[in-house]
Amino acid sequence: MPAHQQVPAVGPTDADQALRVQRDHEAIGRLADDLLPALIAKLAASGLGEIEVRESGWKARLRKPAGAEDGRRSAARGAAESHAGHGLVSVRPAGGHGRVTEDRDRRPREDDEEASEAEPGRVSATSPAVGVYHPRRDLAVGMPVRAGDRIGWVDVLGVQQDVAAPVDGLIGSSLAEAGEAVEYGQELVRIESPASDEFDGPGAARRPTVLGNA
Amino acid sequence: MFTKVLIANRGEIALRILRACRTLGVGAVVAYSEADREGLAAQLADEAICIGPADSKHSYLLAPAIISAAIVTGCDAIHPGYGFLAEDQGFAEVVRAHDLTFIGPPAEVLERFASKEATRRLLGSHGLSTIPGSGMLRDEAHALEEAERIGYPAMIKPSAGGGGKGMRLVRTPRELESAFKVSRSEAKAAFGDDALYLEKYLDETRHIEIQVAVDRFGSAVHLGERDCSVQRRHQKVIEETPSPALSDASRKELAELALRAIAAAGYENLGTLEFLVDSKGDAYFIEINCRVQVEHPITEMCTGIDLVALQIRIAAGEPLGLTQADVVSRGHAIEFRILAEDPTKDFRPQGGQVGAYLVPGGPGIRMDSHLYPGYEIPSYYDSLLGKLSVWAPDRTQAIARGDAALRELLVDGVTTNIELHRAILANQVFIDGKVTTDLLDRVGSAPFVAAGNR
Repeated sequence: MPAHQQVPAVGPTDADQALRVQRDHEAIGRLADDLLPALIAKLAASGLGEIEVRESGWKARLRKPAGAEDGRRSAARGAAESHAGHGLVSVRPAGGHGRVTEDRDRRPREDDEEASEAEPGRVSATSPAVGVYHPRRDLAVGMPVRAGDRIGWVDVLGVQQDVAAPVDGLIGSSLAEAGEAVEYGQELVRIESPASDEFDGPGAARRPTVLGNA
Repeated sequence: MFTKVLIANRGEIALRILRACRTLGVGAVVAYSEADREGLAAQLADEAICIGPADSKHSYLLAPAIISAAIVTGCDAIHPGYGFLAEDQGFAEVVRAHDLTFIGPPAEVLERFASKEATRRLLGSHGLSTIPGSGMLRDEAHALEEAERIGYPAMIKPSAGGGGKGMRLVRTPRELESAFKVSRSEAKAAFGDDALYLEKYLDETRHIEIQVAVDRFGSAVHLGERDCSVQRRHQKVIEETPSPALSDASRKELAELALRAIAAAGYENLGTLEFLVDSKGDAYFIEINCRVQVEHPITEMCTGIDLVALQIRIAAGEPLGLTQADVVSRGHAIEFRILAEDPTKDFRPQGGQVGAYLVPGGPGIRMDSHLYPGYEIPSYYDSLLGKLSVWAPDRTQAIARGDAALRELLVDGVTTNIELHRAILANQVFIDGKVTTDLLDRVGSAPFVAAGNR
């Protein structure tokens, strides 16, 4: 930027400042409009206590209030109606600008997924426990599911724990293989959001819900 | 030896165990809750696995999650650290049922020492003096009867307990009546067991504990004592070794007595026998801790023995590899528990994000902590930020090094008790080695800090 080169200032120029402020405003807007609703849906559906996402220098963290629903299964089943009850949303810059990549380097692999899943329509069913993952045998890409539908299970010392769809949608790509060891909260299957007329039309309510039965 | 150990704990002790595994050449997997994803142990480990949500009931206390994590990561042993499931015989049993090794005493040993009251009787029969006390209290009337027999003041104690929960000091029958129900419900809430007993309360006591190690083959050594008399509401604040309250002859006598009793009672692995020592120098056995203690570093600094590595080796079935003659304690060590608490605000736990963080250095300084700059302290767990331990050839120099190190220690962004430690070090009662367990509570911590600032 030649115009800037003529300014002898050492610190950030006013133009830089303004640009940064504008970017921050855009980031806040994006967080409020896109990211937070998706995060809230995920928090409600997954039974996680807390979710944090970092994106372009910003960090958003949602925490369930103490004493809120902690039974994972029922949380998943009640996903659709429980959106309202989850308080405590905090949004703030993650340790200054331009440090995002640094932070990421030290974070576990789920992170990049977590960030991308925050995009609208890209949520995943996560593992309810540490164990061995088994998808439902009839699970196929493009299959419609409702929030709370069982799409597989995780075997924990011989006990099956349900993997539930966190939101209504279509089964997307698998992120874990059948028989794979998975950790708590690990993303297993993507749930793609369908085109709205496919799902919310009058026919949607009559669609039989596929449940259980692996 | 094990090939891979699952570390089922968090904070500084997870890091301590990870370090021991690395020095032993054993693989390690850190099991963490969602709130500890950014914990230093999980970050430094070659392998880490999320076992559940922040709430420890669904993660660090959830046996199936921990065992499943060990199995899917190919571990052959589980180290429980301290707290959580460290002394849970049911957990130890289930671990063994899954062909894994519990790093600690075997389940049947934990079971034998699970009840404090039964342990006092057992070790009493092997030569240890115990504080006059009652059996399990049936009800309030029984409690009043027993208190009359042993004499007031008396302490109500939960059988399953620890950490001061459910404990009440009562000086009159009236106080006993009002405290009994509260203790019972506190014990029920904290330990899932509301069994209580009474103990004669000794004024002006010191808390002195003996560290022992016993292998599977019955070889046993003691590693001297630790004096944990600086306490606040039954929580240890500062620990030191050797105890300034014991002569060389009496420390040797107490340690040997404790070792004989515990070996005769069939103990195995690391253990700590806690005693109250009264003003006459009489030592009464109060309880045993079947785990590695928070304050183990000061013993390591004086003896040069890695206690966590020793614990792992014993659990793996190796012989002790050392005799009593090999255990030589040199110099003096003091540990300061650095807590996220505000001494000027009734010690309320403080959360927050660590800003600048600077660890002291120099001769004889050791820091066991999971902090790093930018670390966000989860609000779900205890307030222990780390342990600063110092060693010097004698107590006077150890106090001087302690003060210098505390001055260097910087934990920005969180309110800590660092100033309280400095105030205690500057207090004449501490300098004279005359602190008793009730001192901090009697004087109040705020006056200590205020006096230290003058």
